[in-house]
Amino acid sequence: MRKIAPWLLWIWIIGVIWAAFFYAPLAEGFVGQSSRILFFHVPMAWVSFVAFLAAGAWSIRFLAGGRRVAHDHAASAAVELGLLFCVLATVTGALWARVMWGAFWNWDPRQTSIVLAMIFYAAYLALRSAVEEPETRRRLAAAYAVLGLVVAPFLFFVLPRLTFSLHPDTVVNLRGRIEMESRMRQVLAASSLAFTVLFFWIHRIQVRLKARAERAPLGRTRP
Amino acid sequence: MSRTASSWLSEAAAVFAKEWRCELRTRYALNTVLLFAFTTLVMVSVALGPMGVDSVARATVLPMLLWLILLFAAAAGLPRVFGHEEEKHTATALRLAATPSALFCGKLAFSLTLFAAIEALTAPLFLAMMQLPVAAPGHFLAALVLGGWGLAAASTLVAAIVGQARGQSTLFAVLSFPVLLPLLLLAIEATRAAVGGGGGADSLSRLVLYDAAMTVVSLMLFPAIWNP
Repeated sequence: MRKIAPWLLWIWIIGVIWAAFFYAPLAEGFVGQSSRILFFHVPMAWVSFVAFLAAGAWSIRFLAGGRRVAHDHAASAAVELGLLFCVLATVTGALWARVMWGAFWNWDPRQTSIVLAMIFYAAYLALRSAVEEPETRRRLAAAYAVLGLVVAPFLFFVLPRLTFSLHPDTVVNLRGRIEMESRMRQVLAASSLAFTVLFFWIHRIQVRLKARAERAPLGRTRP
Repeated sequence: MSRTASSWLSEAAAVFAKEWRCELRTRYALNTVLLFAFTTLVMVSVALGPMGVDSVARATVLPMLLWLILLFAAAAGLPRVFGHEEEKHTATALRLAATPSALFCGKLAFSLTLFAAIEALTAPLFLAMMQLPVAAPGHFLAALVLGGWGLAAASTLVAAIVGQARGQSTLFAVLSFPVLLPLLLLAIEATRAAVGGGGGADSLSRLVLYDAAMTVVSLMLFPAIWNP
């Protein structure tokens, strides 16, 4: 099973890519084929959100539940991967903005909040590399990640309401409903599932790598 | 060992009194931070002049400049709240002497009063030098108080984190600015509304939310940061 599972994931992802281009219809009111980026941009943003949330949860478990090193590894791996997906979401968003709005960047509230989230979690990694003593590093990093759980709602829910946004409705919009053609909704759900599984798969590998690097007698210890 | 509320309060008060006594002995934070705020203020004022910004842009640009001056003044002075304990190797004694929550409250009270003093001197000077009339002084004052509270609370917590790391001054800026950015945007929004004379109640209530969340989470996180 362990050997087949990655292949199933790859087949699933290929299916999603095919469906995004040939099965799903185009959304109304978008330039050309640009609405198809939705099937990749939204899951990336979703995964980075899940990753940062998971990093916060693992940090709470680390601080409250006996300071186990495995929880710290899980939190830092989640932040690293979350940053990667955050960058991907930002880049795909900027490409789409170029097509739809005519500029890669215009400080739309959504763009502002994703950049601030990126800076915050980059600062988390900077903090990790600034503390030499491993136990202090884990403790301080975990505290900072929990602080992120307080800052994030302001970034994602409070700030976007300060100014008018051009960004299309987020999947569940302010009216609390999903307003999307059913085939598009299917592909988006399949894609989000694929990206989420992909994230947890890479995350598991990262955590095992970190644990091994820590055990290695002469190996480098990764921050 | 049970601690009563009054002993907790007296511990917090002792920490607060000790901070101010140390501060008044050296006047390090007051002198440097105030001079820093004053220098940036003069620079802004000379560069822009009272007529440097046209009257339409004034209400949008000037509140932002005021908060930038306050932000950098906070970044110059507040890291020392915990930094000097590590520098002088008094942190261990402090760990033995006070409960973490009382210690944090004492330090927070010191940061709040210090920053209030900085604001009380900087803001009127800024208004006078830039010749910026404020349409709703009550809202302006509320924005200063609430923004200052959030700034001091978040800076104190980050100072506690940074105090135990190396490369302190740069690290403080790196860690605190992403935490402070939402607060600053809200404070700038509230100040703009106060200067313009319309609304701003929305931003003020969000500022209260931020301050409350930051204070509560600081109190919860501080023991984990402080105790090895």
